[in-house]
Amino acid sequence: MELTRPSDVADLDGGIFVHGGTEVVPLVRDGILSGAKLVDVRRVVPRGVDDGVIGAGTTLAELEVDPQIPDALREACRLAASPQLRNMGSLGGNLLQATRCWYWRLKYPCRLHGGDRCHAREGEHREHAIFANDFCASAHPSDVATALLALDARIRTTRRELALFELYRVPDENDRDVVRLEPGELILEVHVPTVEASVYLKAMDRKKWSFPQVGVAAARVDGTVRIALAGVAPIPWLLDSPEALDAATPLPRTEWKVPVARALVARALATLG
Amino acid sequence: MARLIRTEKEVEGRFEEVWLVVEEDALDQWPAGPQAIVGRDATRKDALERVRGEAKYTADLQLPGMLHAAILRSPYAHARVNKIDLSKALAAPGVHAAVGPGDAKGLEDEAGYAGAAVAAVAADTLAHAQRALRAIEIEWEELEVVLDPEDAVKRELYTAEPTTYERGDFEQALADADVVVEGTYRTSVVLHNSMETHQSVCEWVGDTLNVYISTQYVWGVRSAMAEAFDLPADKVRVVCEYMGGGFGSKNDPGEYTFVGAELARRTGRPVRCALSRRDENTAAGNRNATIQKLIVGARSDGTICALGGEFVNAVGWTGWSAMTEGPLQMLYACENVRTVRYGAKINTPPMKAFRAPGFVEGTFGLECLIDELAAKLDVDPLELRRKNYASSNDGKPFSSKNLMECYELAQEQWDRRHEVRSRSTGTWKHGVGMASQIWFGGGGPPSYAWIRIGSDARAQVVTAMQDIGTGTRTAMAQIAAEELGFPLDRVEVSLGDTSRGPYATLSAGSSTTPSVGPAVRAAAADAKRQLIEIAAQRYHVEERILDIKDGNVVSADGNVNTAVEKLVEVLEDAQILGKGARGPNPTGMSVLTFGIHVVEVAVDVETGEIRVERVYAAHDVGRIINPLGARSQVEGGIIQGIGHTLSEVRLHDPESGRILTTTLDAYRMPTIADVPEIVCAFVDRPDEHLTNLGSKGLGEPPIVPIAAAIANAIRDATGADVHELPISREELLRALQSAKEKERRGAHAAV
Amino acid sequence: MSDLKLTINGHSYDVRGARVGVSLAQVLREELGMTGTKIACNEGHCGACTVQIDGVPTLSCITLAHTVEGEITTIEGLREHPLVDAFVQADAVQCGFCTPGQVVSAAALVAANPTPSVEEIRHHMAGNICRCGTYPRIEEAILHWRD
Repeated sequence: MELTRPSDVADLDGGIFVHGGTEVVPLVRDGILSGAKLVDVRRVVPRGVDDGVIGAGTTLAELEVDPQIPDALREACRLAASPQLRNMGSLGGNLLQATRCWYWRLKYPCRLHGGDRCHAREGEHREHAIFANDFCASAHPSDVATALLALDARIRTTRRELALFELYRVPDENDRDVVRLEPGELILEVHVPTVEASVYLKAMDRKKWSFPQVGVAAARVDGTVRIALAGVAPIPWLLDSPEALDAATPLPRTEWKVPVARALVARALATLG
Repeated sequence: MARLIRTEKEVEGRFEEVWLVVEEDALDQWPAGPQAIVGRDATRKDALERVRGEAKYTADLQLPGMLHAAILRSPYAHARVNKIDLSKALAAPGVHAAVGPGDAKGLEDEAGYAGAAVAAVAADTLAHAQRALRAIEIEWEELEVVLDPEDAVKRELYTAEPTTYERGDFEQALADADVVVEGTYRTSVVLHNSMETHQSVCEWVGDTLNVYISTQYVWGVRSAMAEAFDLPADKVRVVCEYMGGGFGSKNDPGEYTFVGAELARRTGRPVRCALSRRDENTAAGNRNATIQKLIVGARSDGTICALGGEFVNAVGWTGWSAMTEGPLQMLYACENVRTVRYGAKINTPPMKAFRAPGFVEGTFGLECLIDELAAKLDVDPLELRRKNYASSNDGKPFSSKNLMECYELAQEQWDRRHEVRSRSTGTWKHGVGMASQIWFGGGGPPSYAWIRIGSDARAQVVTAMQDIGTGTRTAMAQIAAEELGFPLDRVEVSLGDTSRGPYATLSAGSSTTPSVGPAVRAAAADAKRQLIEIAAQRYHVEERILDIKDGNVVSADGNVNTAVEKLVEVLEDAQILGKGARGPNPTGMSVLTFGIHVVEVAVDVETGEIRVERVYAAHDVGRIINPLGARSQVEGGIIQGIGHTLSEVRLHDPESGRILTTTLDAYRMPTIADVPEIVCAFVDRPDEHLTNLGSKGLGEPPIVPIAAAIANAIRDATGADVHELPISREELLRALQSAKEKERRGAHAAV
Repeated sequence: MSDLKLTINGHSYDVRGARVGVSLAQVLREELGMTGTKIACNEGHCGACTVQIDGVPTLSCITLAHTVEGEITTIEGLREHPLVDAFVQADAVQCGFCTPGQVVSAAALVAANPTPSVEEIRHHMAGNICRCGTYPRIEEAILHWRD
């Protein structure tokens, strides 16, 4: 494999982008990501926080202690992963992380890998989705993306600007990607609007260093509350209202996530006041 | 004086009758309580090198010319290798040798589980070896897969014949009972996941085989390798000075060592064969799942009159069926007991002994059942245990049993439960639970030790034992120092090499301290006797008034008071050699360990989150050699137990039988954030019938009762009966819902 | 293949012909003989391989050696750190395989915060798994490292 280290956006020319490497290095080793070239983008992607604009190269550890950013984002960073992974992992990389679904990670020929089955639906799915799980039952693992979704963040890439909401899509027969980035498109910045109040609550399987079983982010702007959930759908999930949980479509072994989500949503809203 | 005796030897709950040569164990035990060195905190002799990263583990070993092996494992849960072609793999870059079924022990042509070892290659680098595996061509014939243990039992697919047990008249006693409680309890597959994976480096030097291996039993590996390669046993040298955890999974060579040795033989090069963490999660052994259908009958005054259970151990393709029914048979004074235990043969990776195999699982079921009985009888759960206290093991006396003292020690903790409950709020309910512990831990012969003292007045204990992290090295040094009368810093221990030192038992089954410790003391006594003899001659004093204290030779009349260095300086190159052996176990007695855990939990009844806030652990394991190390063992066992109680479970795909939780983000062990406040207490009373020490093993007892104590605390806090491990949010929410419905029905009925 | 220049524990090391893609952990252990840094999972999940890069705890098993910028500190560079004696005295070691990684993480914590609270210790040490369960002892070692 070749490793390049461009110093300018103009020098970008395909390859697999790597920043902190916490997701890309293991996936390349496993053969889930393959290519001839690894592109170290640490000189290209901005890093640091400036009045609501966060460089995508900022690490979760840096965000965890930043007083400028909204509570939900800071808390999502604080509760994510392990200290070492927070030290290494970039914000941009975190938004693009793949599901922890064991079938996907073990390279079963499932729908996300281009196959025609969701092995989890018929098999072991106790950590999987309760929404949009008909085609693929994987759960999205990012606390940070969920918080940013509730905060109605926008992202700027090398090609365009878009709402974070538009970055994700539910996979379907014609397109198995959960992320809407074009080949070679790189996330540069995340723009986080000011909010009146925000909160992130996380249910996990051990006290720290665990992916969300259910994560709830809520943010209030102009009296309106936006709610987003982690761990419940193939993508970070925007919840129209607490009642939208009534429309959840859990699998037999994910039914338990619904009351947990209900409780955390209620608590999040109560915290926001 | 040597004797040939027949004695009963127990390891991990399995008993065998053996003939042994033992030496008379003539030393009196020390009085109870801390001595000069034994019974006092001692920092580990090998802590510094471990903390600094200077200790060399098998994983760190690099031998010149060393090759790396990779093992091809079956992707099918049950399949036969009809044809195998290694030629392309042999021709692959960097490859020096390749082996298949029949070429090495552990490579089978019938794979009984996904992950079974089938073939292997040795290459210049691990990457070369792994790539070459893909070039191995196999014609597989898929066979029928059985994954459900209850299905296997129905079809009589057993790993061994079912074990039945009965005493008294169970049927009648159950019929006569005033109150009956029954329930089905399930425990899940749990993985050892030692931090150092299973691995070895094998090297042939002439016709001698050197095996460097991360193991709990250097002598066992020696015999097994000698047998596999048809060598005299002393042509095999096994070395393991530091190893990164075993917990029962590293008691034998494993297929990776048979394969490595064969590849080394074919190539003439040393061969490392190491399991990856994913293979470790798949094929390195496990604590098997169990299904326990239990029933208890009691009189209204709380006397348990009938106990019964049907136990299914989901053993796997091979392995042994642990004594899950042990606690139910042994913990309480119940005259009428009936059990049957099945070892289900299923197409999953085989079990391996894991820290109190069978008894961890069985204690969960039993102690939850007894607590549910207490609830139904409306009696204090600890009182119920006291009322049914067993003063003998089905008629056989205990060598020592201080469980009542453990209950006494715990009483104050138990009395906190009213205050703990009062902390409950709308969502967070607080409660306290307890569970009793019973397990083995007496060790047994044979084990031997030598002690060597030179003119520098330093003592070296030499025995081919292991320190798998339990601190046994330090305990042996303390025992030797105590007996010799030397300061602790003048005693060192040489271990872990079968070519250097006599036989010592495996470090499993809580065996090392009670087995090797007495041998070390006997060796020290022998060496001390020789020092006294020399002193008597040098100072013209009678032996019987001489002693050694804190490194000085002293006489009772005060005339002699000399440093040992001065005594032995005459030795120059000569050495004093003491030798000792483990004597026999007491005949006709049950040698067991006991304890109690009292646990405080808080439960979020809306989200199913559990916080284990405090654990009080009182254990009776005879004399404590090193209180500092003993507390660490208790904390470690409790923390590991919290793992299997709350978050650890090995999952497999129900269709293919392949393991799904192969990585440490999916298989979740406790982190530092999951640790409760832990308070330890020890009865610390020597077992006067057991060896010259009166010490039992402590490695396993602390992991035995913790799951039940947590489950019982949850019941106390919420009224919910959890019946399954791990207690996931899903299981807890189910149990809470069930408790709510029961309450509604009860309230309705009361109207 | 390309040559690597690494600064480790204050010394400069040249590693010739290192394959691009090789991890820092592998270079440390196999090329440079620094086996204090352990590999236990090789996927970034357990923390045994923790080293510091410019003082920041980092998982060397998933760090590509060729991407390292900054000064590396391994357990070998911390052998005189007071935490070492603190771990010994507190009995914060059993099998010892995770211990070097624990010390490296702890050293970074006390460098930034010499008197961490129990909560801070648990937060910053949560990425170092110990199967033997020495956690209470590690906590004590860090609370009393200056004593």
